Amino acid sequence: MIGRGGELLSVPMRALRRSGTVWALSMAALIALTVAFWPAFRTEADLSRIVEALPKEIIDAFGLADFGSPAGFLRGNLYAVMVPLLLGVAAVILTNGQTAGEEDAGRVELYLAQPVSRQAVFIGRVGASLLWLVIIAVVMLIAQLASDAAFNLTIGTDRLVATTALCLLLAAWYAGLTALVAGWTARPGLAMGIGIALVVAGYVIMALFPISTVLAPWRHLSPWDWALGGDPLVHPADAWRYLVLAIPALGMAAAGTFAFGRRDVQAA
Amino acid sequence: MLTRVRACPSDRLGGMSTAASAVPLRIDGLVKDYGSVHAVRGIDVEVRPGEVFGFVGPNGAGKSTTIRCILDLLRPTAGNVEVFGLDPRHDGVAIRERVAYVPGELRLPERLSARRFLESIGRLRGGFDRKRLESLAERFQLDLGRSVRQLSSGNRRKVAILSAFLTDVDLLILDEPTGGLDPLMQHEFLALLRERRAAGATVFLSSHILSEVQRVADRLAVLRAGVIVAQGTVSEVRGRARQRVEVWFEGDAPASLAALPGIERPTVDGRRFAATLSGPVQPLLDALAGRAVATMLIEDPDLEDAFLDLYGDGS
Repeated sequence: MIGRGGELLSVPMRALRRSGTVWALSMAALIALTVAFWPAFRTEADLSRIVEALPKEIIDAFGLADFGSPAGFLRGNLYAVMVPLLLGVAAVILTNGQTAGEEDAGRVELYLAQPVSRQAVFIGRVGASLLWLVIIAVVMLIAQLASDAAFNLTIGTDRLVATTALCLLLAAWYAGLTALVAGWTARPGLAMGIGIALVVAGYVIMALFPISTVLAPWRHLSPWDWALGGDPLVHPADAWRYLVLAIPALGMAAAGTFAFGRRDVQAA
Repeated sequence: MLTRVRACPSDRLGGMSTAASAVPLRIDGLVKDYGSVHAVRGIDVEVRPGEVFGFVGPNGAGKSTTIRCILDLLRPTAGNVEVFGLDPRHDGVAIRERVAYVPGELRLPERLSARRFLESIGRLRGGFDRKRLESLAERFQLDLGRSVRQLSSGNRRKVAILSAFLTDVDLLILDEPTGGLDPLMQHEFLALLRERRAAGATVFLSSHILSEVQRVADRLAVLRAGVIVAQGTVSEVRGRARQRVEVWFEGDAPASLAALPGIERPTVDGRRFAATLSGPVQPLLDALAGRAVATMLIEDPDLEDAFLDLYGDGS
């Protein structure tokens, strides 16, 4: 017997099973395929020299520093752009689908007519999205560790765990943002648009603003910078980097839940 | 002025309480606006314990909006709604413990099987009897193993009906519950409704199938453009409609009958006089006295006539 709260989590968890699985397997495949090139890359010194010849701003923007090392290879190919970008997009899509998307489709109404609070229904849906992000991140980490072992890429497990955790929290930040917009407006197009736009904007601010001396100080506005600015594949991340992502994520999800409890529910 | 009754927490947990013995549903001056659109414009309804209350009106009259306010899916612009003496805005969970709902616009999770969906609703209601689920499914000839996306609109409607009858509740709120059901299943649904009513449940039945309301409702309200234009027992509302009169004479029908009080839309066709009659029948009978009447018919209106009359008045 899982109770009402468990049922409110179980329903969206099941609804996300297919898309969550596709996301997890796709991310795992991306990681495995990328790492599969490591043995060839390691022995190809020319590639490293080409990258090192690029302007420093470009190297920083695309995370290509120390590209010939295991950490540099993973950063440049996966964790500077692709993984956080895709995980952020997944967070927006999954959260939006289970909140504003389902409400707009009229599929939340029958659940809200049961003896459960509106807030509990919303929390269950945002919670299911976050849980699926955790599952995706765990699958990614397993794929990373297995690929590293298979292709002799040597890097500390603690660095990979920390980097994956920070990417996950960055995605959770965008999930929280999407929940906030969805809780406030019930407009899936708007929640999706704002979420995806801010995922991309976050990367642009972190990666490209430093190229301009005027804009450089503003890079710290980006949650990407909070998550990855300390180069977690190389250096242990400070605790504040986790907290500055996790606390606003929960805060925005809570604000979205509050707003959902106070407005009209969208009719089918 | 309506006095708001708020139940204390112990009342909600207890069996017979202040809230439990309160009026199942009371709507007082309900207004709901969507920007400049006035969907519901000040309606008053009181549903008594154990009755079937019909809530009729055409599409867009405000029926579903009213129901969604009762269930706290919408927040009223003005006015009060009380369900068993509780305010849906503050006591929504306690109210919905005692209320089951069939929505008019039906959207079910597409990928779930009917069984999985209904089990989920049963768990959210705090538990359910599996034998009852099987029995209801058999009664409505619903294959529980099929996914919702494979079901026809009629079968989806059955799923929604089963979700409302899965557990015993004190108040059933049904918004166009038989839309898409074949006549056999409509009959089965009305039988189930009568059973629940006999067991003590109160029913708030929104419908535009007037024959259905006429068959089961004790009282009803007719809604037009967000306001109630008639309310009372079924016979009272029917009584507001015009009777249909036809008289066949031995000779030519007298045209002077058209001038009688209450006579409307008269037609004289040889020996036949036909019209509608509102108000007392006595002036007509007096006018016919002494004339050679072959046969005559005065037909009571049904609810549909009343409905059309009420709408004709305002159009």
